[in-house]
Amino acid sequence: MILPGPLVIVAVPLAMAVVLQLLRYWTALMAWLGAATLVLIGSLVLLAPLDDAWQVANLTVEFGRPLVILGRRLVLQPFDQLVIAFLFFTTGGLFLVAWRLLPHSNFFPVGLMIVALLAAALLVEQVVYAALLVEMAAILTVFPLHEPSSGAAKREEITSAVGGMRYMVYTTLALPGLMITQLFLDLFAIFPNDQTLLNTAAVLLSISFAILFGAIPFQNWLSRVALDGSPPVVTFIFTVNLGAVWFMLLDYLRTYPWLAEQVPLARLFLWLGLLMMVIGGLLAAAQRQLGRLVGYATLVDNGAMLLALSTQQVEGVALATLLLIARPLSLALMTLGLQGLRRLDGGADTYLTLKGAAWRAPWRTFAFLVGGISLAGFPISLSFVARWGLYQLLAQEEFTWALLSLSGSVGVMWGLVRSLRVLLKRPPPVERPVGARLEEDRIVLVLMLLLILVILLLGFFPQSVSRMVYQMASWYTIF
Amino acid sequence: MNPVLYWIDRLSALASGPAVWGVFLAGAVIYLIAEWRIRLLAFLAQYFFIGILFTRLFSERPEMALLKTLVGWLVCGALYLSARIRQDAQERQAVFHWAADLPFRAVALAMMTVVAYLAAQRYALPFVTGELALTTFLLVSLSLLFIGTEQDVVIVGIGVLNLLTALDIFYSVQDPGLLVAGLLIVVSLLASLAISYLTVVEVAE
Repeated sequence: MILPGPLVIVAVPLAMAVVLQLLRYWTALMAWLGAATLVLIGSLVLLAPLDDAWQVANLTVEFGRPLVILGRRLVLQPFDQLVIAFLFFTTGGLFLVAWRLLPHSNFFPVGLMIVALLAAALLVEQVVYAALLVEMAAILTVFPLHEPSSGAAKREEITSAVGGMRYMVYTTLALPGLMITQLFLDLFAIFPNDQTLLNTAAVLLSISFAILFGAIPFQNWLSRVALDGSPPVVTFIFTVNLGAVWFMLLDYLRTYPWLAEQVPLARLFLWLGLLMMVIGGLLAAAQRQLGRLVGYATLVDNGAMLLALSTQQVEGVALATLLLIARPLSLALMTLGLQGLRRLDGGADTYLTLKGAAWRAPWRTFAFLVGGISLAGFPISLSFVARWGLYQLLAQEEFTWALLSLSGSVGVMWGLVRSLRVLLKRPPPVERPVGARLEEDRIVLVLMLLLILVILLLGFFPQSVSRMVYQMASWYTIF
Repeated sequence: MNPVLYWIDRLSALASGPAVWGVFLAGAVIYLIAEWRIRLLAFLAQYFFIGILFTRLFSERPEMALLKTLVGWLVCGALYLSARIRQDAQERQAVFHWAADLPFRAVALAMMTVVAYLAAQRYALPFVTGELALTTFLLVSLSLLFIGTEQDVVIVGIGVLNLLTALDIFYSVQDPGLLVAGLLIVVSLLASLAISYLTVVEVAE
């Protein structure tokens, strides 16, 4: 029996999601089984040759063979291999992070379903279906994002469902633009003299992706999701979901190469990216809630990615992808810290409630800071390598742009330093009695140390990752 | 033409004009009245009118219009259940009352309706008939009102569903294929489940 590769990539996680749903009582089993499945398929996608078959017992899997559903083709292309592997490995890693943080959570089965949908979105040839599949994935993310906690953690949390609602609303607002854009671009291919079609498509596409990236003035959902959502799921949205959106943008540009030639998209990305970095930095510096700080730091990072794309060079695409690969490490560490700090005071993360929290949860504070520094793009981290490359590329064109983009990182760092001052402050006993120290889960501690180690290692030796990323970027022959 | 299809086509041609304004009136009721049962009843009626309009779109396949209407009513059922759970948890008596900021809402609704009407007159949507274009613009206006000025999860959710319906009408004209229609149905169902879930989760918290 011959199976096309896309069927394995999409169907196996979906089937495993059903199994995990039945195993929700055993969190460790769920987390490890889910992570193992994702790592296994991710490795197969990364290593399997597309022009050859892979034999298991009576089954033959041909990864290069397209899967046809009602006339629509899902096909694994060389440039999809690393992208899908990134989505699968990141989700697998986040499952291990969530293992001790989200007992009996639906994040594991739903996460598998989401990653299968996102993989299908990247594999499908017509971008209109990609948009619909990304929308479905976004809606599904709402379920683990606002899952009521079980057990001991239940009493400790105060959350609202606004973040999930905003996320769903914003992705739905982006959907019509994405679907109609394809329609107009197809019409433009038939009537190449009708410039209105092209202009309308370019405007719609820009607005839709601006909404999906949380660009100014649509940044509201990023901060609200980071404020209200469960930390590991927030990391999942900011890395896996946003990563898929990023590669969907590259897919649009690859499918319609003349779009970038005829419309000044590079200029648009440049100004949008700069705006996101500058405003995001200012907002991050002014925050008094740690959750919002995470949201605005991600906004600055998204801005940096758009700026990298605006350079219209393969190096730019490689740098943006490097930023995306570095993000899960920084954000996972940051949210591990945030989750512990929130547990100190009933789920709140305002400066008022977290005064002196570093003395009660030193490891979580350390994790939050190291993750934050890495996400801000300061040394020593993989993000720093990518940001440094970006500043150099920008400075070659215009030094002011490099300075403005640097100001975004400085804003995030400023927010982190302000937070550290509050976290280290010892509250006077009359104003507020010092609460009990946070009992650290040893496995979470090991995870945090491991993440710090990986961030430092990749910061010192980024060559292996950057080589791989450059190779992948060269597949995108947009520029 | 099949006589059944012929009569469905004739009837829907007669009813589609009033159905457009039925969609608007149902939206106005949802926006101006604060009692959740009346709002959901209006939403149910809105899907009925949308179903009539879909028969204009799928004149050869009226079962598709029926399917869209049934899915809409299923969505209403899910929203009803979650709103009911919320009502029970809040232990508040449900009584009829207008929305608190009624004058503002009335003006906002009137303005958005005028904008939608003028947009339908001025900007011709490719391959879309006048009635369907007006419905699309009205639904988009209503959804922006619900999303932009409401805080209740159920009503914001109705805004999301209205936007999806507007997209469904517009896109079904362009691509009457089954796959996009099916995927849009799945998106609507998933969205309604998520809205219901969020409504109940807020109560649980």
